[in-house]
Amino acid sequence: MRIGSAKESYIADEALFATRTQWVWFALLLASLVLFPFVSNLYWLYLACLVSINVISATGLNILTGFTGQVSLGHAAFMGVGAYTVAWLDNNAQTPFYLNLLAAAGVTTAVGLVAGLPSLRVKGLYLAIATIAASFILQFVFINWESVTRGTRGINIEPPEIMGIVLDNPDTFYWMVVPIMVVMVLLAANLFRTRVGRAFIAIRDRDISASVLGISLPAYKLMSFAIASFYAGIAGGLYAYFMGSINPESFPLLMSIFFLAAIIVGGMGTILGGILGAIFMTLTPEVLRYGVDLASPFIDEPGAVLSPVRTIVFGALIVGFLLFEPHGLAEIWRRIRRFFHLWPFRT
Amino acid sequence: MKGKQILSAIAAVLALLLAAAMPALAEEKNDIVIGGSMPLTGPFAFAGIQFNRGLRDYMEWLNEQGGIEGRKVRYVAEDTGYEPDQSVAVFRRITSRENVSFYFGDSTAFHQTINRELDRRDIMMTGASFASELNDTERYPLQFMHGPDYSEQVAILLRHIAEEDPGARVAFIYSDTEFGRDPISAGRETAEELGLEVAARIVTPPGAADISSAALELRRARPDYAIFHGYILAPIPDFIRRARQMGMETRFMGTYYSMDQSIIDEMGEAADGFMGVMPYRYFYEEDAGESELMRAIHERNDEYQTIYYIQAWVAGSMMAQIARETLARGEPLKGSRMRASMEGLDEVDTGGVIGVPVRFRGNSLPVGRIYRADVEAGRMVPVSDWIDLD
Repeated sequence: MRIGSAKESYIADEALFATRTQWVWFALLLASLVLFPFVSNLYWLYLACLVSINVISATGLNILTGFTGQVSLGHAAFMGVGAYTVAWLDNNAQTPFYLNLLAAAGVTTAVGLVAGLPSLRVKGLYLAIATIAASFILQFVFINWESVTRGTRGINIEPPEIMGIVLDNPDTFYWMVVPIMVVMVLLAANLFRTRVGRAFIAIRDRDISASVLGISLPAYKLMSFAIASFYAGIAGGLYAYFMGSINPESFPLLMSIFFLAAIIVGGMGTILGGILGAIFMTLTPEVLRYGVDLASPFIDEPGAVLSPVRTIVFGALIVGFLLFEPHGLAEIWRRIRRFFHLWPFRT
Repeated sequence: MKGKQILSAIAAVLALLLAAAMPALAEEKNDIVIGGSMPLTGPFAFAGIQFNRGLRDYMEWLNEQGGIEGRKVRYVAEDTGYEPDQSVAVFRRITSRENVSFYFGDSTAFHQTINRELDRRDIMMTGASFASELNDTERYPLQFMHGPDYSEQVAILLRHIAEEDPGARVAFIYSDTEFGRDPISAGRETAEELGLEVAARIVTPPGAADISSAALELRRARPDYAIFHGYILAPIPDFIRRARQMGMETRFMGTYYSMDQSIIDEMGEAADGFMGVMPYRYFYEEDAGESELMRAIHERNDEYQTIYYIQAWVAGSMMAQIARETLARGEPLKGSRMRASMEGLDEVDTGGVIGVPVRFRGNSLPVGRIYRADVEAGRMVPVSDWIDLD
């Protein structure tokens, strides 16, 4: 049980982790992330890397949509910009991978700023449509700017190299992508302790009141687009390195919807929501494979029979969460925490 | 939250962890394992389900025949939903449990992405993609196609046209996708070499339902032949109906994936005369009895089997042949060794499903035959000999 958490200063009130227990848990989490590669096989490491990339991207979208209230359906296309930047640099310049990643983030930020311009005049569903348009335009560029993207044939990317170690497999790539993910998530969490982050929330809650408070709507909306695109650019660049090959169909509109679904299921407007949502959306279809495995002694050809069921169960789970847990997975997490805080008394 | 709920939550987490830590199931060490990322759901499921059945049935048949050099063959596949991320996950999942010798892939993107991993693990792969891009022995040394790549399919069609109607005007109609664009630039060059005139190149947006402007473009071009590529069925019927309404005499052609019997079943009258390139015999073909593999397929199935089912049998039979050849050389079933024995083959064993002796050129088998839809007979009938581009 936790008894009282008296805060005596603003700094204490803003702290990411209020108690020592939280620090301990956070340290345990980091330790388990470090230990994970030693106890798991390449399949789970592959999924861990994929989840990390998706967490970065979902966190970016969460800043834009969950915290600032600007709906975007162009997120996958922004990832594409990052991925193609990395691919082009990898094939045409001998720059190290971290410069390539930063360049990817930079280029994507610039593209995101332009794509965010409509947000100055429209919001809600209208903005969603405007960002779909941006997504289509980028898709067109990926297909037709052949000298850079190699068009529909796709483009190969050599794996990154750190100090002579080639990160070409999930067991090595893990050590690059997970630290980046942790840093990106911490940056996002800290963003909302600053004026900028709070301005985003003010815009989401009531843009008119926000502007009365002296928040410049154009500047902050564009800034939100820029930050979200920065995240998408990093995620896209990592995706390109991780997959080793991309083509214009690697970043379909459906992928943008995937990320939107992830933050809705996870919980919009909380950092934890973006993380849990990305984990849920990436891992659930895979975990359901074990259901197929378990059924295999009883059913002939479980793969063929149960695969469609797997898709339906995944869909039903999403609908279930929206119905019974509208605040997302993050809310479940909060409830579990509250239970332990109040234990042994009832809530 | 009640204590009970928490308990069940903890139980769920534990179950997950257990599942993750579950050791690879002990399996027969001596089995030859063929893995597969199969699109059993999603947009490509119509073919994926048939690939899966075909490979499963072929392996069953092969084991009844005594396997490969006395070793049993085991086929392990899982659903991918036709998403490259999932295809890779399935590959990782299967290879972390099994010692895989061969793999069957489901999309061009997956073939490209997994290539590095194939090299590292020394696994040989074939699959559903006939992308010209993959027909590159330098870049994709451990991949092979069990048929002609898309550019070669178009070249076979063009060669047929050039023989039938020298100097004819040809139009390409293709979807604006990786799949659709694949053979177009090579096709134009081949047409020029064969003395054919490319009257138009008409591109349709992916998944487009409305083709009226594309149909007008086709009418302006008035080609003698129009070759569709990058579609399965839609919008081919619509194009053909409109062309007929406009009184055009154009003869329409398609590539492998639009050549299943379903084009007749779903298009009806309008399909009559539709032609296309097919590397394999159809299930109902009269001289099918000449082929060992076709006989085995008929023994197992009374009803019509799709071209994808037959394709899977051919793929399986080629894997078996490469494995047999490699074992005969006293080499292990490693990708690089199998590649060497594959290149040493004078003739590829397709079980007679391809009607002439074939051998690899690069990563593909550049052979096919032209078939025409005969709506009255309700089936596809051959109108040319087997055309070998070699």
